[in-house]
Amino acid sequence: MLSARWLGLLAAGLGLAPLVLPPFFLQLLTEIAIVGLFATAFNLLMGFGGMVSFGHAAYFALGAYAAALLVRRAGVPMLLALPVAPLAAAAGALLFGFFIVRLTHTYFAMLSLAFAQIVFTVIFKWKSLTGGDDGLLDVWPPAFLKSPVAYYYFALAVVALCLLALRAIVESPFGYALTAVRENPRRARFIGINVRRHQLLAFVVSGAFSGMAGGLFAFYNGSVFPDFAYFTKSFEPLVVALLGGAQSFLGPLAGAFGFKILEWLISRQWPVYWPLFLGAIVIAVVVALPQGFVGLVGARAWTRSAGRR
Amino acid sequence: MRWVSVLSALLALTAAGGPAAAQGKPIRIGEINSYSGLATVYTFPYKEGLLMATKEINDAGGVLGRPIEFIFRDDKLKPDEAVKAARELVGQEKVDFLAGCISSGVGLAISAYAKEAKTLYFATHCQTSRLTWDDGHRYIAHTTNNVNQYTRALAKKASTFPYKKWAHISPDYEYGHNVWDEFSSYLKQLKPDVQFVQQNWPKLGETDHSAYVTALLQSGADAFLSSVWGAQEIAFVKQGKPFGLFDKLHFVSASVGNPDELDPLGKEAPVGAVTPGFAWYDEAMQKRHPKLAEWVKRYEERAKKEPTLGASWGYASAYIIAEAIKRAKSADTDKVITALGEGYEMDFPWGKVIMRGCDQQAIPPQWVGVVKMNAKGKPVLADVEEVHGKEVVRSCDEVAKLRAVAAEKKK
Amino acid sequence: MDFITSLFPWITNGPLVTVQVMSGLSVGMFLFLVSVGMSLIFGVTRIVNLAHGSFYMVGAYLMVTMVEILPDRSWAFWIALLVAPLGVAALGGVIEVGLLRLIYRRDPLMQLILTFGLILVISTLVLLAWGPDNKSVARPEALAGSVRILGQPFPSYYLLVLGLSPLVAVGLWLIFYRTRWGMLIRAATVDREMLGALGVDVAALYTQVFVFGSWLAGFGGALAAPTVAVALGMDADVLTTAFVVVVIGGLGSFAGSFISALLVGELQSFGILIFPAVSIVLLFALMAVVLIVRPWGLLGRPEE
Repeated sequence: MLSARWLGLLAAGLGLAPLVLPPFFLQLLTEIAIVGLFATAFNLLMGFGGMVSFGHAAYFALGAYAAALLVRRAGVPMLLALPVAPLAAAAGALLFGFFIVRLTHTYFAMLSLAFAQIVFTVIFKWKSLTGGDDGLLDVWPPAFLKSPVAYYYFALAVVALCLLALRAIVESPFGYALTAVRENPRRARFIGINVRRHQLLAFVVSGAFSGMAGGLFAFYNGSVFPDFAYFTKSFEPLVVALLGGAQSFLGPLAGAFGFKILEWLISRQWPVYWPLFLGAIVIAVVVALPQGFVGLVGARAWTRSAGRR
Repeated sequence: MRWVSVLSALLALTAAGGPAAAQGKPIRIGEINSYSGLATVYTFPYKEGLLMATKEINDAGGVLGRPIEFIFRDDKLKPDEAVKAARELVGQEKVDFLAGCISSGVGLAISAYAKEAKTLYFATHCQTSRLTWDDGHRYIAHTTNNVNQYTRALAKKASTFPYKKWAHISPDYEYGHNVWDEFSSYLKQLKPDVQFVQQNWPKLGETDHSAYVTALLQSGADAFLSSVWGAQEIAFVKQGKPFGLFDKLHFVSASVGNPDELDPLGKEAPVGAVTPGFAWYDEAMQKRHPKLAEWVKRYEERAKKEPTLGASWGYASAYIIAEAIKRAKSADTDKVITALGEGYEMDFPWGKVIMRGCDQQAIPPQWVGVVKMNAKGKPVLADVEEVHGKEVVRSCDEVAKLRAVAAEKKK
Repeated sequence: MDFITSLFPWITNGPLVTVQVMSGLSVGMFLFLVSVGMSLIFGVTRIVNLAHGSFYMVGAYLMVTMVEILPDRSWAFWIALLVAPLGVAALGGVIEVGLLRLIYRRDPLMQLILTFGLILVISTLVLLAWGPDNKSVARPEALAGSVRILGQPFPSYYLLVLGLSPLVAVGLWLIFYRTRWGMLIRAATVDREMLGALGVDVAALYTQVFVFGSWLAGFGGALAAPTVAVALGMDADVLTTAFVVVVIGGLGSFAGSFISALLVGELQSFGILIFPAVSIVLLFALMAVVLIVRPWGLLGRPEE
């Protein structure tokens, strides 16, 4: 965990950023914060809980669409619609998670992918409600939050609160029980921990915060599309969390920052051939940095034995 | 000093000689399109056409004495990436206008952003009619034809056949539904006794169509429309041929006449298929449009390849944007929108393009032909008939109605 | 019964159903060829090779090139079919030795990310090497048409697939169960460390398995090339389908992949006739159903 001094500096830097950075960079930082939240929520399940999901886009999309639908179809103001995002996502996570946590490893991942594709299909086909692949447009925040600076502070505040909540969960007795389940499920069961229930709860919490990220993203982007639920979106938190360092709490955030900046720089420099350079960098990071980006600053790992073997 | 005055005299001479190349601050246009991945088969030629026109425009003095400059970004085929690129181009790069799109979802997303940011957006390669109609607004113009126009031109040709029973195969997404709706409604209008006996909606990017081929053969239809396109249509044709599908049913396609499909198909091309396409090589076309052959030559010199429909779209888009700015006598957004609202016409090597004022939508000529093998054994479009888009496009009143309906739904 | 026949009037049409079943079998066989390589690699090395679809795509593109540079004779196709997969096998070997070996001791997830990076790199290299245009391989003269099965036309090329794939399946079975190398592979799927402790060069085995798996993917791509368009984006389509087939069958299970591939092939054949509205998601729905009922896939082995 980074020391309080570093965190304070970071907070100060972020808070003062609008004074030095032009609006587009604030928007980039906003997006990084949202992706960072998504990846951290995802990593609660993966790095901390030991369960890899290939279908987290479902919860991101459920959150985004829940908020967007309330605003566009029911005229609900954004500040009331946004809190519904994590609730909708949690409901989906509860429903799907019930089946998913009974599996392990690759099967866990693939069933989560299957459910995500089902969510995608429902969004895509239910055109009268969701707009299908035309998406829902004109999903903007209210006037006082619309400017890049205003939404930046808003998103940052929400993300910070969510991260604090996630941190509290990780440090709580529930979090410790989850660690025990990850390290040795059989032993955890013997000491009386209901493994299934803990995993399901972790799944729901992870889904809920992913949905919050989705809701924030909907208003940042101004529109929602079915591809928010497509499996390629599910890979984003996975790549970001791993590149950043899945064994530390702030790893995914570091990953979000590093990856998004890299992706942006590379694709504006090479609009046609950027995947080549991005792929090469991903490969290089995997080979050279076993702990991900946070390995560079030596952040303490959650697990005693970093990595699973 | 004497050498200074000699130097300045020399400079003045060179500057005065020949048409002045454009000087002054460039007019910058942010172009967002799918430049990586599988859309490149379309966007590479499109970009060639765009840059070819840009060079011509700038060599001839630019627009209002200023050169135009396109700044390119890749949308990664994702609407939210396109919005991000648009934000950067408008907020950071401070471009004067936005342009581009190939995927309809991306076009709609950029349009929504443009409306919010009060930046004028010229949609180019994407085809959905929603852009300027249902979801239209003053900050979007569409520089190429839309689904409505070429589908209706195709339906018009289809109505001349005696076939009564029609089926279709269309990819299950916005574009596929758009094409079938336009085609079937217009065909029914022109030929009320047609029946639609079967619908087939494969997923976009389906690789195995044998079940659909079987279904079509069982449908009892005399003819069928396909709006499946690109690599998917190539696969569909290759899979349908051995089943004798194209012998039993008359094949009408929205896109098989394009070289990106005909060339790879080669001797497996569906001879006899009725389809639109940019048949620049057709003798009758070249006679009707005397400047076409020379344009093709110039394009081939530059791109080292034969032109495609997309190349003509890129070329036209640059000129249409330039013309709007010229007519506005300014690069100011509101003035250009006013100029667009007045509407104008431009002549291109392939015919006249009307930029209509009421919806800022381009109306170019449409061509429908039949696939045949040429003397060299290469499949091409022949017997090309031309009908101008203005004969079939929805009227301004109809557009107003569509916008009203869409606005109702949004409440 | 009447309700069913009114919905699907062709269902009582025996010859038609037969041809549909055979189409489904051909598709299934293709899927098997592509998936078994992925299953094999996972079974031995525990790496989920996301670049498997990319290998398939390279195999198809190499097929295009081979057919282009060889003279226009009837034997050209078969030579191309033989040579193209070898190119992919070589690529697989280079990647394994040059990259994967460096990260075997790492977290399997990091290895997954590396293969994800490979997808990006390979697809761009394909764009650079072959350009953006769609390509196609014509079927060989002898197999370009169709034969009559119970009076219904059936593409002759699919007969090749129906003929070759069981041969490949039998060949693979013989390799795995009747050769020493196959025995080593099966042992590695069960316990790599023990195998290493017994003196087997596990690293070399990994390379061999990866090369063989890549060859299978390339062969699948080359064989499929005449039935589809060879274009960018092939890698993503095939990857998802192959992955789903492997998981439904059970990771590391050879027989599982076979049964699953046939099941999926038939589902594609009939499913889109029976459930047209949801063709996008049929495959994933099947996987969800299988995994809920059988958490390790059809024939997968519960892991430690």
